[in-house]
Amino acid sequence: MSLDILNQEPFRFLLSVGVILFLVLNLAAVFTMAERKVSAYIQLRYGPNRVGPRGLLQPAADVFKLFTKENLSPGRADIWIFLAAPIAMFIPAALVWLVVPFAPNAVVADLNVAIVFFIAVTSIGALGLIMAGYGSRSSFSLLGALRGAAQMISYEVPLILSLLGVIMLSGSLSLVDVVEAQSGGFWHWYFLPQLPMFVVFYISGLAEARRVPFDLPEGESEIVGGFMVEYSGMTWGLIQAAEFASMGLISAITVTLFLGGWQPPFEFLDLGNFNWIWFGLKTALLVFTFQWIRWSVPRLRMDQLMDLGWKVLVPVCLVWLFVTAGLMLLLPSVF
Amino acid sequence: MILAFAFLAGMTLVSALGVVLSRNVVHSALFMSGSFLGIAGFFVMLNAPALAAFQVLIYVGAVTVVILFGIMFTQRPQVRRYRTIIQRQHWPGFFVAVGIGAFLAYIVAIADWTGTGPGNGPRGVDALGNILLGVNGAPPIFGLLFEVASVLLLVAIVAAIVVSRRKTGEGVDRGVEE
Repeated sequence: MSLDILNQEPFRFLLSVGVILFLVLNLAAVFTMAERKVSAYIQLRYGPNRVGPRGLLQPAADVFKLFTKENLSPGRADIWIFLAAPIAMFIPAALVWLVVPFAPNAVVADLNVAIVFFIAVTSIGALGLIMAGYGSRSSFSLLGALRGAAQMISYEVPLILSLLGVIMLSGSLSLVDVVEAQSGGFWHWYFLPQLPMFVVFYISGLAEARRVPFDLPEGESEIVGGFMVEYSGMTWGLIQAAEFASMGLISAITVTLFLGGWQPPFEFLDLGNFNWIWFGLKTALLVFTFQWIRWSVPRLRMDQLMDLGWKVLVPVCLVWLFVTAGLMLLLPSVF
Repeated sequence: MILAFAFLAGMTLVSALGVVLSRNVVHSALFMSGSFLGIAGFFVMLNAPALAAFQVLIYVGAVTVVILFGIMFTQRPQVRRYRTIIQRQHWPGFFVAVGIGAFLAYIVAIADWTGTGPGNGPRGVDALGNILLGVNGAPPIFGLLFEVASVLLLVAIVAAIVVSRRKTGEGVDRGVEE
């Protein structure tokens, strides 16, 4: 009976938003831990191993430290913009999780325009980045913000173009429909017919999440910390949470669009209501590749970044869009 | 519902006032994004999530960011304060405002408001797409307009490349020793 009440509209929505917030905030902690452990194993060392068994309680210690640290702000900072920027970065990153389908029927809002919603809300992130850089009133921050804005505007184009193939094949802008169109074994997943688009989406996703090799806005070895150099304490923590949330988000959306979402790789592995395990496994695998790339590839230069975006990724997308459209017209029985 | 509307209306109007009254260009641009977000909220209330998403994508994610980008590249926004935004040009501004106000009042007066409540219009992306492309019963002129708009954008892109391109032989300065 009590479960019926929880299924009613306002309660269901509030409960799911609570679950999403819990998930996103904990994701940041888990990803920090994973980041440090993966980097340690790649560099042949142990990583954090003092707090708790095998260092598993390290994120709790980190969060406690961040909460007790003082929030400094530069004396000449534009204080409202400076303080609003982490919020403007975190809210969009958390908001998009509302449309991610975790399992059959396990999606907070099954919008019929979920893909457009994802693109629109991630594009607000660039605004938060500029606010952080401008509000700090420091040269390094401003440089980082300008780099970040240029990068995010440029890579939004291939990001959107690489989605179009999937939209054409599935004929829907709803993420649930896209996942359902990929049922029945991994050879039905869209990463096979859309392999170039998958690669482009993955690379532009890396750039949108500002991960190495696209971490020019942060650029710790050249502009010390870029747009977040002046942040400390929990304001810095919120920016980090936003970064990790968007990294998880990009992985989750890639899984949903190209790797079959909650669909098992073979039909006999269908777990019914527990299919979210497949979704979680695939997302975790993609996050691991993000971290693997971080410790394998050096940072791009600004001109290389722009060349890659405009001269390689965009043409590849356009060509493959034509190929997809042509094949769909010529072989309507296959698609 | 009325509470949500009041909140969104207040957010839109206060941000719009902020755009005009703020002495700092960057603050104005940020207030503008708040106003755009409020309008996207109105679209959601009117059962048009596609329009809301495009409003956020184009106006908040692209236009405001490009404006901020332009401000930061062309001047030193942190020092500059505009004291005379309001005092300058008040007579032309007054006439433009009165003209727009009269035009909007005329539209409100002549429009037929019956049956235009929230959610009564054509809903969903498929209907919007059909109308945009002028297929499935929509007037085909919309398809032509759609194509003309895309050609216009293409011309603009080519023009931007032509304007910003370096002359041949000047070489590209990438800041590294060759």
